[in-house]
Amino acid sequence: MRGFWPIFKRELFALFVTPLAWVLITAFLFFQGWHFYIIVVNFAAASGEALGDTGPVQAFFGQTMLLYLPLLVICPMLTMRLFAEERRSGTIETLLTAPVGAPAVVLAKYAATLATYAAMWAPTLLYIVIIARTGEVDWRVVGTSYLSVIAIGAGYLAIGTMTSALTNSQLTAAVLSAIGLCLLFLFGLGEFVFPDGPVRDVATHVSAWTQMNDASRGLVDSRRLIYDATVVLLPLFITVRAVEAWRWG
Amino acid sequence: MIEVERLSKSYGAFRAVSDVSFHVERGEVVGFLGPNGAGKSTTLRMLAGFLGPTAGRIRVGGHDIAEEPLLARQKLGYMPETSPLYPEMRVREYLTFRAELKRVPRRVRKDEVERAAVDARVDDVAEVLIGHLSKGYRQRVGLADALLGAPPVLILDEPTAGLDPNQIREVRSLIKRRGSEHAILISTHILSEVEATCTRALVIARGRLVASGTIDELRDLRRAQGARITVRGDERRALEVARGVRGVERASVEDSSAPLPGTVVLAIEHGAEGGPEVTEEVVAALVKAGIGVREVVARAASLEQVFSELTRGENEGESEGGA
Repeated sequence: MRGFWPIFKRELFALFVTPLAWVLITAFLFFQGWHFYIIVVNFAAASGEALGDTGPVQAFFGQTMLLYLPLLVICPMLTMRLFAEERRSGTIETLLTAPVGAPAVVLAKYAATLATYAAMWAPTLLYIVIIARTGEVDWRVVGTSYLSVIAIGAGYLAIGTMTSALTNSQLTAAVLSAIGLCLLFLFGLGEFVFPDGPVRDVATHVSAWTQMNDASRGLVDSRRLIYDATVVLLPLFITVRAVEAWRWG
Repeated sequence: MIEVERLSKSYGAFRAVSDVSFHVERGEVVGFLGPNGAGKSTTLRMLAGFLGPTAGRIRVGGHDIAEEPLLARQKLGYMPETSPLYPEMRVREYLTFRAELKRVPRRVRKDEVERAAVDARVDDVAEVLIGHLSKGYRQRVGLADALLGAPPVLILDEPTAGLDPNQIREVRSLIKRRGSEHAILISTHILSEVEATCTRALVIARGRLVASGTIDELRDLRRAQGARITVRGDERRALEVARGVRGVERASVEDSSAPLPGTVVLAIEHGAEGGPEVTEEVVAALVKAGIGVREVVARAASLEQVFSELTRGENEGESEGGA
């Protein structure tokens, strides 16, 4: 993995010295803050018996669409410049003629977006702190929820990394991965639509909705983690091959 | 230090580089000369490991670029043609990043960045954002990048393109100074650049190596020149006289450029041996034959002519081929 660390640092640098990461994180936190606010207000207004055993943390992670919608937009925008911009500006030539291998380049770039993604979620821990001061928090639920949020995002970012390597236009890269993520997400929702059968089973298996719903009840299914790992590794593998293939263009 | 054997690169049916072989040793500054589109950049990109060859072998610093790509690239400082850089970084940040990427040990990294910046004359802009730099400065940041870690092999693709005359002089003197420590290959389409900095030159045209030799040999090629003589009188007679002079290899009438009615322009070419004396003799012979000589313009072969000369020579089997 020669070259991983300097490229990782440079990518983080590029994300944070330009407004991109700040704009995305700010937009994300505004959105999730509003989302959390709605949930808390709802819980405050509702009387105890109507709620069952659901708490605001469960609702936040497992029961609203608002958790995913920003991810479908923000993940493609975090990853769009990774390779597309380097190819457009030609800097890919200096990068790939340095003594680094393609796997290190791809992993370093991907890891930088993943770190940014994690940083984007970090302030939402404050919501948990707020809940913990006024009521009880199931820390197991918090743990599994964040694990799943990171696992799902890791897959989305890997898909975005791949589309960024397939084109030299940032916009095309972002649009391609946004379309891909939306299709994947919608297909997952097919578990509520399709009749019983293999298609529905597959839909259930890839459903981010069900994964987060389980996680918000403290459940982690190892099969889902294996699926998440596939969604990370397969696009990254394709990206490595694409980067290697440029030499033969 | 650089060994290239039978290198070819095809894009579909188009052969960009075809069967090129040469060596560059330590202490040599070799000019890679050719018109635009001749395959210079493609060849250099293959040497730098950015493009994979269709056929042939490349060894850099003793490492095969296909079998040990990382070791080979470690020995190499490469400056691409347009010197692409990250506009959002400061010069020092960029060079530090590149030094780390090139595995310059941490304890000497700062000094190494400083040294490369001073050598390439970018130390005065070390804290400036690359996006704010002029083309000349960017070009030299690319050069500083190539110098980082003092690699034994330097490959510079048109290092002086876009520089002003003072900067060109500085870059050339830097290349000359460094010549003894490295094996340097620089590409250019400017013949005088090769004369100013290189010990040897390779000439490439249409993807093929058409000549290679020392600068003196190249200068001889350049002296293969002629003259344009504007005469008044019978054009067939004038041609006959000119062709009769020893040393004249070719004489023809330039029909397009007769300045006045009744005059013609003769174009004569002579070999490298004769030189201006041949022109003198042609003029004397013309005058003796009663043909009025209006104007004589000595004509240095342009680079394009040298190239066409060289490619013609290749077809006649006269080229030297490899180095």
